[in-house]
Amino acid sequence: MEVVPISIAAIAALLSVVATYLAVRSRDMLAAVVFSAVQSTAYALIYYVLMAPDIVLVYIPVSVGILPAVAVLLIKKTERYES
Amino acid sequence: MGRVSGMSDLVITLYTIVVLSLVVNIGISLYGVFTRPSLVKKFICLTIFSDTLNSFAIAIGFRRVSDTYPSIAVLSSVPEELSELATFAETAVDPVPQALVLTAIVIGLAVYMFLVGLIVMYYRHYKTTHVRVVEGGSVG
Amino acid sequence: MNLREAVIAVSIALMIALLAYTIGAGGLGPIAPSRLRDLAVSYLINTYNPWNITKSALSLEAVTAIVWDYRGLDTFFETSVLFVSIVGVALVFRGYREKLGLGGKGLSEIVKTSTKVLTPLILIAGISIAIHGHLTPGGGFQGGSFIAVLLVLMSVVFSLDFVIGSGLTSSKLLMLRSIGLVGVLSTSVALVVLGIVLGTHAYIFQNIAREGSPLSMPTWLLDRPTGGTLLFFNLFEALAVAAGLSLAFLVLSLRESEVEEALGESEWYE
Repeated sequence: MEVVPISIAAIAALLSVVATYLAVRSRDMLAAVVFSAVQSTAYALIYYVLMAPDIVLVYIPVSVGILPAVAVLLIKKTERYES
Repeated sequence: MGRVSGMSDLVITLYTIVVLSLVVNIGISLYGVFTRPSLVKKFICLTIFSDTLNSFAIAIGFRRVSDTYPSIAVLSSVPEELSELATFAETAVDPVPQALVLTAIVIGLAVYMFLVGLIVMYYRHYKTTHVRVVEGGSVG
Repeated sequence: MNLREAVIAVSIALMIALLAYTIGAGGLGPIAPSRLRDLAVSYLINTYNPWNITKSALSLEAVTAIVWDYRGLDTFFETSVLFVSIVGVALVFRGYREKLGLGGKGLSEIVKTSTKVLTPLILIAGISIAIHGHLTPGGGFQGGSFIAVLLVLMSVVFSLDFVIGSGLTSSKLLMLRSIGLVGVLSTSVALVVLGIVLGTHAYIFQNIAREGSPLSMPTWLLDRPTGGTLLFFNLFEALAVAAGLSLAFLVLSLRESEVEEALGESEWYE
């Protein structure tokens, strides 16, 4: 029964497309960071379905934990809205 | 037999959806890198782009095994016979792309942090993160 | 949308369409093939193969075996890139100072208490992922990133003052990071030194006995395989990654006004 996990991966991939589009379009940088974190979560699900647990373990702390924190720091130090 | 091949077609279709979504993500994030004027937005789009390329490498390492789901590239116990290793090699996914992507993600994070430092310095110097201000002297 | 953006959008859409058509038609090989490449089969069969010990890494996990044994030199230079970019962050923000008493109270009491419960758990999970890297999914990079999240969490919940006040200064983190790198280096040349002492041949990054060099790292600890050098590499790499990423985050999160004060106006305006 490999239909169920692959369907989960397909749904996660479509969700990541939506999240990427919103991250590129939004004028508010903080919203873009949040959408990019949503995209990262979807990718982590894809990695899990594609049988790469090592990558999931390194990708969750890096791309959902540290990178959004660094990006929020960057926005706080520069400017929040795109002119 | 017909039912089995129908299932197989469905799996291939779903897998193609995953890969094509990644291709679309590459396009959207590249559009963001090229056209958004803010350096911060370029930075966010660049991280999405690199994540997508890493996902392609993982997708290349995936495989299909007849009548079961492929296993991870980890032996669950110390093998007692040589035949266990042959079975393992027949069901496990490709470990090489995973090993390459693993280091790329952590190194990428350190390089992004350096990039963040450069953008902060840019902002301190020019009081904006808009690139065109520096290019042509005015917001265009 | 002006002309420039339209041209970029159209050309990217064309690229996506062509790439999608190529992949969909099987131009880059079949999607999800049922047969593995020969290199992958070789790694999978030799990762724990006591019957062919001169080609094996004696590690139950194939990914860690590739990262630290078969492609160990590659990973060592990747670690160097990590070190250089952390040094670059510290260099861009040169002249920073860590001052206490600048305010910042952190989040509420409830969040602080639950974070106090969570902190040792994250630390233990990270260390466990690192030292079981050759047995289960995980390894030095994963464990190090887990532990690095801890400093981000603490600086958000307890404020930066608490982190620096509790002794996690950047000089200490730099020292820990250097200890990790020295550990990786000395593990990689350990067998070479032993070979010189005993008068036999040995290679750099050698793990298990190879052809022409019979030396080998200890492969069993009590009732578990240790994977030879992999255990030490994972431990030191976790230390290096955790301290390096924490250091970069700490330097980046220092307050703007402090850095300006420390740098002085003249130095960064030509």
